[in-house]
Amino acid sequence: MEEILSVGIDIGTSTTQVVFARFTLDNTAGYFSAPHVTICDKKIVYKSQAVFTPLKTASLIDGAAVRAIVDKEYAKAQIQPTEVQTGAVIITGESARKENAAEVLRQLSEFAGEFVVSTAGPDLESVIAGKGSGAWQYSMRNECLTVNLDVGGGTTNLAAFEDGETISVGCYDIGGRLVRLDKDGTISYSSEAARLAADTVGVSLSVGRRVSAAELERVTDKMAALLAQSVGLLPEEPLLRRVKTAGSSDFQTIRKPSRFFFSGGVAACMENEETNPLAFGDIGVLLGQSIKKTFSALSAPFQPGGETLRATVVGAGSYTTSLSGSTIFYTEGVFPLKNLPVCKLTAEEETDCFEGRTEKLGQRVRRFLQQNQTSELALFLEGKSDPTYKELQNLANAAAAVLEQEVPVPKPLLVSVRRDMAKALGLAMHRCLPDRKLAVIDSVQVGQNDYIDVGRPLMEGLVVPVIVKTLLFG
Amino acid sequence: MTLFTVLSGKTFTFSSIKDVLAKASEKKSGDILAGIAAASDLERVAAKVVLSRLTVRDLRENPVVPYEDDEVTRLNQDSLDMTVYQEISGWSIAQVREYILDYKTTEADIKRLGRGLTAETVAGVCKLMSNLDLIYAANKVRVMATCNTTIGRRGTLATRLQPNHSTDSVEGITASLFEGLSYGSGDALLGLNPVNDTVSSLTEVLKRFDEIKNRFEIPTQICVLGHITTQIEAVKRGAPTDLIFQSIAGSQKGNTAFGFSTDTVREALSLLKEKGTGKGENVLYFETGQGSELSSDAHYGADQVTMEARCYAFAREFHPFMVNTVVGFIGPEYLYDSKQVIRAGLEDHFMGKLSGVPMGCDCCYTNHMLADQNDIENLSLLLASAGVNYILGVPAGDDIMLNYQTNAYHDAAALREVLGLHPIWEFEKWLEKMGIMENGRLTAKAGDPTIFTQRR
Amino acid sequence: MLDEATIARIAEEVIRELTKYGVPAAEHTKQETGEDIDSPESKRETLLTNPQDGEALQKMKRATTARIGVGRCGPRLNTRTMLTLRADHAKARDAVFADVTPNFLEELGLFTVQTCCGDKNTYVTRPDLGRKLCPEAVETLEQKCRKRPDVQIFAADGLSSTAVEANLSRILPVLTDSLTDKGLTVGTPFYVRFGRVGVEDHVAEILGAKVVCVLLGERPGLATAESMSAYLVYNAHVGMPESKRTVVSNIHKNGLAAVEAGAYIADVIGKMLAQKASGVDLKKG
Repeated sequence: MEEILSVGIDIGTSTTQVVFARFTLDNTAGYFSAPHVTICDKKIVYKSQAVFTPLKTASLIDGAAVRAIVDKEYAKAQIQPTEVQTGAVIITGESARKENAAEVLRQLSEFAGEFVVSTAGPDLESVIAGKGSGAWQYSMRNECLTVNLDVGGGTTNLAAFEDGETISVGCYDIGGRLVRLDKDGTISYSSEAARLAADTVGVSLSVGRRVSAAELERVTDKMAALLAQSVGLLPEEPLLRRVKTAGSSDFQTIRKPSRFFFSGGVAACMENEETNPLAFGDIGVLLGQSIKKTFSALSAPFQPGGETLRATVVGAGSYTTSLSGSTIFYTEGVFPLKNLPVCKLTAEEETDCFEGRTEKLGQRVRRFLQQNQTSELALFLEGKSDPTYKELQNLANAAAAVLEQEVPVPKPLLVSVRRDMAKALGLAMHRCLPDRKLAVIDSVQVGQNDYIDVGRPLMEGLVVPVIVKTLLFG
Repeated sequence: MTLFTVLSGKTFTFSSIKDVLAKASEKKSGDILAGIAAASDLERVAAKVVLSRLTVRDLRENPVVPYEDDEVTRLNQDSLDMTVYQEISGWSIAQVREYILDYKTTEADIKRLGRGLTAETVAGVCKLMSNLDLIYAANKVRVMATCNTTIGRRGTLATRLQPNHSTDSVEGITASLFEGLSYGSGDALLGLNPVNDTVSSLTEVLKRFDEIKNRFEIPTQICVLGHITTQIEAVKRGAPTDLIFQSIAGSQKGNTAFGFSTDTVREALSLLKEKGTGKGENVLYFETGQGSELSSDAHYGADQVTMEARCYAFAREFHPFMVNTVVGFIGPEYLYDSKQVIRAGLEDHFMGKLSGVPMGCDCCYTNHMLADQNDIENLSLLLASAGVNYILGVPAGDDIMLNYQTNAYHDAAALREVLGLHPIWEFEKWLEKMGIMENGRLTAKAGDPTIFTQRR
Repeated sequence: MLDEATIARIAEEVIRELTKYGVPAAEHTKQETGEDIDSPESKRETLLTNPQDGEALQKMKRATTARIGVGRCGPRLNTRTMLTLRADHAKARDAVFADVTPNFLEELGLFTVQTCCGDKNTYVTRPDLGRKLCPEAVETLEQKCRKRPDVQIFAADGLSSTAVEANLSRILPVLTDSLTDKGLTVGTPFYVRFGRVGVEDHVAEILGAKVVCVLLGERPGLATAESMSAYLVYNAHVGMPESKRTVVSNIHKNGLAAVEAGAYIADVIGKMLAQKASGVDLKKG
C-alpha cells in the first residue's frame, strides 16, 4: 500500500477553488498472479472556500492574485508543493477563453508541485464535473442513465452517464455571470449568448442600461428552457445551437434520463433560499430559481449533486489521474513526461507493423510531427491480446526503427499500448535501441488529439500515473 | 483385542488398530498413495472382519494420533459422554452397526449413541456399512442448527449459493447471485470463495451480500470464505457477516498447515457473539474433505476416512451452523473416480451425522478425475434421499473461479420435486412472496435473474 | 393464395408461439447451419426467454463468464446449455489426458525426457513419481544440458498439454531473450513428460542451476484449458518447503498474455538472483 497526494485547482469564470485528495494504491493481485496495482481509495483531505476569481479587467484574469490565492490554500492545508505527486489545474468556462489563461495556467502548473498538469476543454470539464458531483457514481450504483448539469458562471457543462460509462458530453454558454450588474441594477457586462437569449423574450441587455429583476427573470426562464431542450425535455428551438460553446461536442441522450444532477455555483443557488435575487450582482440566483421551476414543471426527477459548488474542483483532484498497467517498461530517469501529443495508429498501420512492414508507420509519424510542429510524441496503439513472438519482434523492430529515425536524440520515446503487452514490447525495443530514453506503458485509453502526461513511477516502480487530456492551447 | 483372522482358509494379521482401520477402508487412491491400503480385496474384507469384532473401547483407547501430540484427539476424548460410553464400551463394532440399523433404534437413540463415540469408532462403523446402509442409517437422523434460519429439518433440502467470480468483481458476483436466487437457491447460505484473501476484498463482498439480504428481506445467512484470520480482521473492522468459515483437518498438524488453531476458532466465536449479524446460536461454517491430511503430511499413517471422521469430532465441539465435505475437489490422487467419490460422499455424510454435526455436501469433481456431471447428479440424489442438509449451487454447475464442477442451481429444484422436499421454511415463504415458487415448484418467473435488478 | 404480409405474420406468430414454450427462434436456424454451440458468440447468447429486463441481463452477462441467463426446461437445463457443458468438459479432459505432439516440441528445438511415471494413469494418481525424473532422463540431462547455468528453464505437461501447445512458443523465446539481455546464462531448455511442479527440484539438483523455472499446464477449468503457470525457485533442492516457490499463474490469451508473462518472469528471476531468495522469502521491490 502506498499513498499519494493529488491536487485539484479550478479557476472558473466566477470562483477559484483548491482541493487536496489522498489516493491509496494497492497491489490487488493474488499471490500467484502478476501484479495489478489499482487506486483502491480516494479521500478528499482539504477543500478550500470558493473565492471570486480575481480579474484585472472584465476579460483579464489577475494571474498574480490567483497565484496568491493558491499559495494561501497550500499553507492552510499545510501541504508543500513538493509533496503533491499528481493532479490537475483546470481553467473552466469563460475563463478558459481569456487571452491570458494559458499564461496563468503555466505559472500555476510550475508552482503546484512537479507533476501537476494543466488541462482544459469543455468536454473534459463536463466529465470531471459529473464525476465530482456524484452523477457518475449514481449511474453506476443504480444501473441507470443520469445527466449532470454543471451550471457555472459562464457555461453549463453536460455529461450523461449510463451504468458508470460516459455516453455523451456537451457545453452551452449558459451561466450565472453572463450578466453582471452594478449595485443600482445597471448592467455592467453581458455576454453575447445572454443577449441572444434576451432578444427572444424582448429584453435588452445593453451595458449601461438599468434592468429590473422581473425582466431578468424572463431571460433566465429562457435559459432554463434552453437547458431543458438540451436534455430532451422540451422540443429544441434553433437558438439552442447558437448558444452551444465553441469547441464542445453535441450533447445527445437517446432515452429519458432517470435522474438529473445539478452542480456548479448556480446549483448552489438552487438550494439556498436567497431572498435578494440580485445578491451577487449577477443572474445566478434567478437562473437557479428558473431551473428549479422549469424542471419541476416538467416533472423531471432532479437533485443537487453531493458536491455542487465544488463538483469540478473535486473532479479535477480525484478523477483525472489513472494508473498504467502494472507490467511496463522504462529506462532510468525517463519520467516525468509532459504534454506529449498522442499519435494514434489506425488498425491498418498496426497490422503492417505486426507483419514487419514499416513504411506506413514512418509516413504517419513524419506527417504527425510536421502537422503538430513538434519533435516528440506518444505513439499509441491497440496491440494484441495474445501476440506471437514473431509479431512482437516485428512490432518492436518497426517502432524502434521509425522512432529512432524521426524523433531526435535526446528526446525520450513513449509508446502506449492498450493491451497488456508493454513490458515485452519495451524489452524488445530496448534491445534495438539500448541507448535511447524509452518508456512503454499499457492499459491506457486515449483519443486522437489527446495529450498525455506520465508521472514518476509509484509502488516500487510497478506503475506510473497517467493523465490524458485535451489542451486548448496546444 | 484380536488383530488377526482366518478368512477363506487364509490367515490375515494386522499390525495395529490403525492398520486394521486403513485396510478395512473401501479402496481409495489416497490410501494407496499413502501406502496403507489393503493389498487385495480379500485382505480388505479380512480387515473388516477383524474390525467388526473389535470393541468400542478398543477403538477409543487407540486413537490414530496420540493424545499427547494432538489437540483434536484431546478435544474428542475429553468431551466424550462417559455415561453413554460406559454403556456401550463393550459392544463390538458389528453390534454398533446393527444397533444403528435396527428398527427399534430411534433417531434420539442414534444421537445419544453418537455422543459416546470417538472419531475412530465412527469411522470403524462406517467401514462396515454398504452404500445403502450409509444412506439408510443417515436418513434416520436429522441434525438441525440455527442461525438466522434453521437448517436440517426433516423434509427440507437447502443449498449454499456459491456465486464465485474469477476476479471477485462485485457486479459479476451479484449477477450470479441473482441467477441463483431466481432458481430458489441460497437458503443455507449465500457464500463466496474469494480469489483475493484480503480484508478489503472480503468486506466489499460482505457489504454487498448484506445489502442484498436486507433489501430483499431474504431469510438466509451470508459469509465470504476467506481464511479465518482475514474474516476475523474484517469483522473487527465492521464487515457484516452471519458466519465465519474455515477449512479443517483431522489433526492439529493439519490445522496448523491451514494456519489456525482451536484458539483461533474460539476467537471467531466470541467475536461473532459480539459483532456478527447472525441471530442464532450456530455461527460457524467448516469444510472438510478426505485426503487433505495426507496432502499436508498430517495423517500420521492413518487412512483418509478415519482422518475425516476426526474432522467431525473437532467440528462438533464448536456447534457450527453448517459443515460440508468438498468431496471431489482434491483430485484423483486421493479419490480416483466417480465410484470412490460417491462412496466418500456417502461416508462423510453418515459420519458427520453420527458425530452430531449439521452435514451438507459439495458434490463435486475436477477435470482430472474420472468423473463427470452424471456422477455428481447421482451422488446428490443419493444424499438428498439420505437427508443431507444442503448441497451447493453454481450457475449451470460450472464454477469459474475454483475451476471445478458441482451441482447446478437447477439441481436442487429438481431434487426437491423428485423427493418431495422443500427449501428451508422461511426461505420458501420468501420465494413464494417473490413469485419464484408455488406449491413446491418453480413458477414461470423462476430462472430470471433480472427480477432482482432495480433500475431506477 | 396468401400474400407476403400474411405469410410474414404467420411466421411471426409461429415464432412467438415457439418462444412461449422456451425454444428461442435462433435454435431453429442453428439446426440448419450446423452452428458451433461452443463458439464464444454462441455462448454470449441468452437462452432465457422473455426476461423482465433484457438490457439488465445483457449487462449481467458481461459482468461474469459464469453461465447465467441460461433459462430452463422444467427444473432442468436447456439442451444446448447441457451439451455446451459436456463439450467444455470433454475439452478439459482431453487437455489432461492427451500428450503434447512431438512435432510441436521439435519445432521449438526441445528434446523430451520422462519422469518415473510410465503412463497418464500413474501420473494422475502418483504425484510422488511425477516429481522424480527416471534414471534415463537423468542421464540425458547430464549429457545434453549446460551445467550450472544462472537460470534453467524447462516445460512440462502438468495437467494440460493444451496449455503447453497454446503458450510455449510465445513465452519461451521472450523469456530467454530477456534473461540473456540481463547478462544471465540460460541453460539448455527441454520438455518433461508426466511432470509435476516438484520435478523442478530434481532438475535443479542435477544441473546445478541457481534459479529453476518450470512452465507447465494448469488443471483445466471449463472456461479454458489453455492456462499455464510458471513456478520459480532459487537454489531448489528435493525436499525443500513449498513456500520457497514463486508462482506466476493464469498465463493464457484471456489472462496474462504469454509474451508479457515471459518479460515479467525475467524480471522476477532478476530479483530472485539479486536477493538470493524466492517464494515467501522474496521481498517486493
